[in-house]
Amino acid sequence: MGSRASTLLRDEEIEEIKKETGFSHSQITRLYSRFTSLDKGENGTLREDQVNFRGFMRTLAHFRPIEDNEKSKDQNGPEPLNSRSNKLHFAFRLYDLDKDDKISRDELLQVLRMMVGVNISDEQLGSIADRTIQEADQDGDSAISFTEFVKVLEKVDVEQKMSIRFLH
Amino acid sequence: MQARRGRRVPSLRALPFLFIVAALLGLLPLLHSHGLQHMLTSEPPYRDPAVLSAIEPGDVTAAPPDVSQEIRPLTNHSSPGHSKPRKAFPVLGIDYTHVRIPFEISLWILLACLMKLGFHVIPSVSNIVPESCLLIVVGLLVGGLIKGVGESPPILKSDIFFLFLLPPIILDAGYFLPLRQFTENLGTILIFAVVGTLWNAFFLGGLMYAVCQISGTGLNHIGLLANLLFGSIISAVDPVAVLAVFEEIHINELLHILVFGESLLNDAVTVVLYHLFEEYANFDQVTVTDIVLGFLSFFVVSLGGVFVGVVYGVIAAFTSRFTSHIRVIEPLFVFLYSYMAYLSAELFHLSGIMALIASGVVMRPYVEANISHKSHTTIKYFLKMWSSVSETLIFIFLGVSTVAGQHYWNWTFVISTLIFCLIARVLGVLGLTWFINKFRIVKLTPKDQFIIAYGGLRGAIAFSLGYLLDYEHFGMRDMFLTAIITVIFFTVFVQGMTIRPLVDLLAVKKKQETKRSINEEIHTQFLDHLLTGIEDICGHYGHHHWKDKLNRFNKKYMKKCLIAGERSKEPQLIAFYHKMEMKQAIELVESGGLGKIPSAISTVSMQNINPKALPVERILPALSKDKEEEIRKILRNNLQKTRQRLRSYNRHTLVADPYEEAWNQMLLRRQKARQLEQKMNNFLTVPSHKLDSPTMSRARIGSDPLAYEPKSDSENLPIITIDPASPQSPESVDLVNEELKGMSRLPPSPEEEEEEGLVMHVKESSSPGTDDVFTPGAGDSPSNQRMMRCLSDPGPRPDPEEGEPFIPKGQ
Repeated sequence: MGSRASTLLRDEEIEEIKKETGFSHSQITRLYSRFTSLDKGENGTLREDQVNFRGFMRTLAHFRPIEDNEKSKDQNGPEPLNSRSNKLHFAFRLYDLDKDDKISRDELLQVLRMMVGVNISDEQLGSIADRTIQEADQDGDSAISFTEFVKVLEKVDVEQKMSIRFLH
Repeated sequence: MQARRGRRVPSLRALPFLFIVAALLGLLPLLHSHGLQHMLTSEPPYRDPAVLSAIEPGDVTAAPPDVSQEIRPLTNHSSPGHSKPRKAFPVLGIDYTHVRIPFEISLWILLACLMKLGFHVIPSVSNIVPESCLLIVVGLLVGGLIKGVGESPPILKSDIFFLFLLPPIILDAGYFLPLRQFTENLGTILIFAVVGTLWNAFFLGGLMYAVCQISGTGLNHIGLLANLLFGSIISAVDPVAVLAVFEEIHINELLHILVFGESLLNDAVTVVLYHLFEEYANFDQVTVTDIVLGFLSFFVVSLGGVFVGVVYGVIAAFTSRFTSHIRVIEPLFVFLYSYMAYLSAELFHLSGIMALIASGVVMRPYVEANISHKSHTTIKYFLKMWSSVSETLIFIFLGVSTVAGQHYWNWTFVISTLIFCLIARVLGVLGLTWFINKFRIVKLTPKDQFIIAYGGLRGAIAFSLGYLLDYEHFGMRDMFLTAIITVIFFTVFVQGMTIRPLVDLLAVKKKQETKRSINEEIHTQFLDHLLTGIEDICGHYGHHHWKDKLNRFNKKYMKKCLIAGERSKEPQLIAFYHKMEMKQAIELVESGGLGKIPSAISTVSMQNINPKALPVERILPALSKDKEEEIRKILRNNLQKTRQRLRSYNRHTLVADPYEEAWNQMLLRRQKARQLEQKMNNFLTVPSHKLDSPTMSRARIGSDPLAYEPKSDSENLPIITIDPASPQSPESVDLVNEELKGMSRLPPSPEEEEEEGLVMHVKESSSPGTDDVFTPGAGDSPSNQRMMRCLSDPGPRPDPEEGEPFIPKGQ
């Protein structure tokens, strides 16, 4: 498995991924072997959605812990994928299914429904959703925009919550 | 104005002093009772002055001569075998020995409470000096006073400390432990507790031995093991002191839980080291077997303690499942089971503190789901009260014991102890943090490390452990005690006083005071799920993975056994929402009275049904509280008194209080408002609601099965006839209150306050229609919204009093 992984992943690719995501060399190779083990069909992608390895790494990069030395890095480069704002954006996009940059009541309802299971009635979930939107909504459009989302989560330690300690 | 204010201020300032004087005066009978007791058994001549002076401060009624006369007849009774001369019947007697012990205990506790009261009256002092310091000073004063009178002041006996004073504090801490932060940082906490304490003990013990070896200090007779024993006693960070100081500085949760968790979990290490060294200090050598056994014993002590705690916690949770009929004693179960866990662990020399914490943590989620709201409040307040009083007493007694104990001051020993303690702590924290930061996602900054090191306070546990040493084996016990007390004083006074300005100076993050919003709860749970998924993808068995497994296990097995009734199926999110709504309901009632309710409903609920707010208000005229009272009075006086169910006085039931009624009423009205909305939804969705009536919700929340009667308001509920074959028939109610079977009308009121979850019957009978609800189809919502938009034009006024036959879809 290890040898196959390294032959399928060229060094330039590894370099590109390293620059884009910030993972180290060994982490990338380990994740690649994981990717191939998940990729049952061996066609280089996961599932029908055609997530290739680059996309896989890009997504996982969001969950890299924020390191101290990165905080002081130059501000003129593009923001690293695992910054707090990008992490929050990732979470936001999971809620926002129709990609209109707003979490509407129905999208919230769907997420709630998935989290809570089938035992709770729609009405109850509806009131929870209403209350959630009411708490977060500041511009009165009955939907949560990204800035409102960020504001609501300002007390939550997102850097810790949305990080996985990838083994070196 | 100025003059008045000037006059008031000195009297305010004088108040605490008055308290102190009053409390001290109250001690005088105590002191003289000591004398009285001795003297009653010895010489008679002393009786009169002692009695007279004892009566003075009390200053009640009888003239002294009468009393002194009565004393003699009493003592004549107490001395057997003497012929009793016939005397006048004693109108007033005094028998202090009879009540002596409870009286003294109560006096001490009263003193503690008055002190606490006094300190909060002067805000300026309590800002600078932490309460613990002030209490120790008071203890010193009282001890000095008692000594000055000639009595020997009571010393904080280890038994009393460990069996009575310590458990409430620990239980309070364990029951309200912020579990999420604790488990997230568990690794860090364990390393600090175990490795840190071991390092402290050995470093200190070793260095002290080296110091003792220096000739000229007169300490040569103290062996290595004795020194190690001393090191192990003094190296443990004390939870009481940490709580007392950290509570006031409101530091951020991470640091709080790190230091506090460490102070709790190092108990196991302390217990093992103490017993190990105490056993072998006389032989002055420890073999390898002993070390291995000691190591093993550490695991037994800590894991055994946790196991005992978990067992008692589960039993307590199971018991609470059946307490729905006798709500009054629910809090007692919590306290008793936890205390038994502590005592059982102490019985086997296991770590009692860990048992207590484990039982509190394990029983809490289940017990809270089972008990009534009032019991929950009771538990909370009793725990806070007891722990508060305990803490106060501990510090006062520390002061008193300092004055009372025999001390042996040896400059070298004490000063070097102090210095090495500080050095050991700093080095330990620095070293461990360097190691821990390799594994932490959020690293500990130097500022954090400083606070952790500075917050390593020693307290009464060290003193009590030192006190437990006996004289024959440890002749230097007095010196040890002196050194321990010095270190305690130093840490509590110096470190306790300076930590607050230091926290401000270093701009350490403080605790956020606001409560958790529902947004945070939802998103945090969502992120939990997300992270579990990502961890799964990476094949990484991390924190979230195990938490998810635990949650599944919990849901599948534990909740079914330990939570009564339908609440066992309630997801955590709904429970949280339920709690929030209740809190808000209580706040609304307490702040604005009933008149505010219609506006509250219209803001909280459906913004897309704004026009609907109008009919809502029309149904519920805003009555002020007095008007309602008036109306009720009129009705009560003038209506024909039908045969009511008499409320016989029963000690076991709690009388409903007016707040609760108002609050339940408010909830009732909210449900009515929501029903209006639901009626429109009902045309599209299947009513997969829970069954209840508002009265049942009241029963659930109010938990007084006998004290509640259905209100006359129930006529206002939308009368919706139900097909008896439908799931919402009264017979399928399986809740607590059988008396409510009389309710023939059960409007399906979907409410968030009532948490039975969905009864299973719903699913099976209305299956054809239910599919629509559970597939989150995009088609559902727009039509829903369209329908609501249509209905926003009221048209002919929809009169909810008319009985509309309710046509669920699919039936």
